[in-house]
Amino acid sequence: VSGARTVSNRAMRALAIVFFSLLPILAMERRAEAQDRIVVRPEPGTPVVAVEVLVAAGSADEPADQAGVAYLTARAVTDPIAAVLDSLGARLAIAAHKDAVSLTLTAAPDAWEEATRALLAALFRDPVDSAAVVRQRRAIVRELEAREASPADALAGEVEKAVFGAEHPWGRPAVGTAETVARLRARQVDEFLRGSFTPERSIVAVVGPVEREEAFDVLRPALGFDTLRVTEADPPVPAESPVRRNYDAITTWVSASWHFTGDADVEALRMLSRLALQRVSFGPSRRSVYNSRGELLRHAAGGELRLHLVVPPREAEQWADALRQAVAGYAEEALSAQIFAERLRRYRGERLLELDLPETRARELARGVLLGGRGESLTGLDGLTPQRLHDAARALEAPIIVFLGPSVEEET
Amino acid sequence: MLTLLLSLAAAAADTTAAPRPVPQDGPAVVVHRQPALPVAALRLSLLADDPTGYAGAGHFFQHLALPALEEQAGRVGARVQAVRTSDAVVYSIVGPADELEYMAGVLRSALRAPASPSGTDMLSALRHLAEERAAERETAPSYVRAALRARVFPNDLPAAGTDEAAARLESADLAALWGRMYAPGRVSVVAVGDVQADAVRRAFRSLPGGGAAGDGEAGIDTVPSLAADTPQATRGWVARAYPAPDADPAALSVAARLLRANLRRRMTRSAVEVEHWWTHHGQALALVVATPDSLMPAARRTVGGALEAVGADVSPQSVADAARAVRRDMLFYSRTPERMAEIVGGFADRGDDPEAAQRYFARLEEVTEDEVRAVLELLAAQEPVVVEVPAQRIRRENRR
Repeated sequence: VSGARTVSNRAMRALAIVFFSLLPILAMERRAEAQDRIVVRPEPGTPVVAVEVLVAAGSADEPADQAGVAYLTARAVTDPIAAVLDSLGARLAIAAHKDAVSLTLTAAPDAWEEATRALLAALFRDPVDSAAVVRQRRAIVRELEAREASPADALAGEVEKAVFGAEHPWGRPAVGTAETVARLRARQVDEFLRGSFTPERSIVAVVGPVEREEAFDVLRPALGFDTLRVTEADPPVPAESPVRRNYDAITTWVSASWHFTGDADVEALRMLSRLALQRVSFGPSRRSVYNSRGELLRHAAGGELRLHLVVPPREAEQWADALRQAVAGYAEEALSAQIFAERLRRYRGERLLELDLPETRARELARGVLLGGRGESLTGLDGLTPQRLHDAARALEAPIIVFLGPSVEEET
Repeated sequence: MLTLLLSLAAAAADTTAAPRPVPQDGPAVVVHRQPALPVAALRLSLLADDPTGYAGAGHFFQHLALPALEEQAGRVGARVQAVRTSDAVVYSIVGPADELEYMAGVLRSALRAPASPSGTDMLSALRHLAEERAAERETAPSYVRAALRARVFPNDLPAAGTDEAAARLESADLAALWGRMYAPGRVSVVAVGDVQADAVRRAFRSLPGGGAAGDGEAGIDTVPSLAADTPQATRGWVARAYPAPDADPAALSVAARLLRANLRRRMTRSAVEVEHWWTHHGQALALVVATPDSLMPAARRTVGGALEAVGADVSPQSVADAARAVRRDMLFYSRTPERMAEIVGGFADRGDDPEAAQRYFARLEEVTEDEVRAVLELLAAQEPVVVEVPAQRIRRENRR
């Protein structure tokens, strides 16, 4: 009965899409809105076409006991088209984020249209196949079990809980846990598919040797004309003091996370994260830093600048201070024009190199639209100044610190 | 193609004196413009053999130069690489397209005769070479390929050279040695990205002059027997290589793909790779199979009969599918400017003209069933080079 209802609902939706596509004049005003969910970046010299389908369905749409259902849904619903994509030489990668599921398709120029149509039909038209759910559930559980011993995953989990709150949907892992995923049933996946994997929740970015109109012709019928629908997450409840978690290891992970608001200067913050990380990374005067990493995470309400270090347990507090200072130093005084120019020249090159894959560019564009942008540019590098960097650093408040390591409290 | 590219990237130096087409009037420049992304990749090849007696010299110079190149490239956020292929000493850099002149300067600096390196730099470069020599024999996958290559292309010595040559490098006159390898006319450049051809030509117009060539040969490069260094492996390895110097490259690539598909379908418990090796030394087709010990006899039979089996199975549709798969792999691999430059440059390094990569890509689509059959017959008429590594057997009493 459930399957029949699914087919029926989906058929209705498909009919509705066809209907609307036959009424271009009536739909003109909404068409402009629909185009905001489709971004095309024609690149004549790029040898492949990358298509990013970002479905704005994430942890905030999942019941707490069904953590990971968004990711399982994406995996299960695309499982039946694996052979088709393979025969077309297309590749599909799926990743779960807190606020969306990313499906990245890469195909040769002569195969991208067919591969994209197959993907969109799987997402928005076909019913879920229960055998595919079982297969993918088993695969995900195995992958999650294999990662249970990963300290990087453990740190990420603790940081998310500290930043958003243990009860907040974003405090949970976006892919769920082995325990929650193992409990998911085909019926729940089917419900999630019908309720959350909808065209009006989806953004598509196309990058490659494709004309805009050509791409719109492929995408419009499946995406419809509605404005983007996104589930608003509750405000986070961050930890008020440093979080310390025991972890059986010989090193300690120290993480500092600075929240920023939706109107922050993101490119300046990204540069700041790079510069601050250099101040605490391994070097002749910092030989005890085993590893370091920086990241800038964005969501609708702003985001976080995060720096992570792996250090000896006895030095954990000292390095937490170093992390705070690494960012605060840039808030104290603006860099001189000459030093800033040198740093910017390096940062600019590194930032552009991050975008050297067409699928990365497609992801950036789609993500930009999800966060309220228009998908017009890949970076905000133009016009960065010492003052902007300084202002971005000054706008940050105290970071949330997380320690993960052996007997941290005793050691420190 | 990807397999081909990867296998060649990991492959070796040459010390042969075989004549190679060398441009006479400054560097040959090929530009593939990609205007959409403000990133550019520059790939500079020095078409040079290691001087006799100094196997590994080209790669040694790369290790000496690389730290400084990385430091310079880092100032503009660019990334630099040094690879010794069977055809050339290759440096590549990728970074912002508007830093073209600066990036070209980084690559040009790699062509200057080495000043007297410090003891630390010498030790570091020699250590890297020693590690690479050891790595080639350490594990079965690299060992079987090295052993096949040594017999199919005997003039193609390992990129990392030999212990004896490394000892000679320690006390050699490096500037004179470099002079025997480098001449501005031996350089070719490929640029991919948002750059103009004129700007690239200007950036590489003035290359360092060639130094005094020096004279004298230090001796003969003798590669230690690979048979004496058979690595331990948990699976058995069966490898065959068929020289194919006169085969049509596109048809050979398609035949390799068909062989791979056929063997993978029939050998589900084994790992199968079929590679098209293509350097200025010639072409070959290599089959490398890793299989459980108990399946070794069956694997030998299957690999031995692979050409015949594919010949019986080939059809216009299977040829078209295989050709399409090779073309798509090529497109996927070249989706960054850096890799596109690698592919285009690979053709140039073998002495082909600037359009060779594009011609090969187009030719793939035209390969016919008859051409594939002809290649399979050509291969079958050759005596294959055979290399095997048995699986390590643990005595029953030592098992726990």
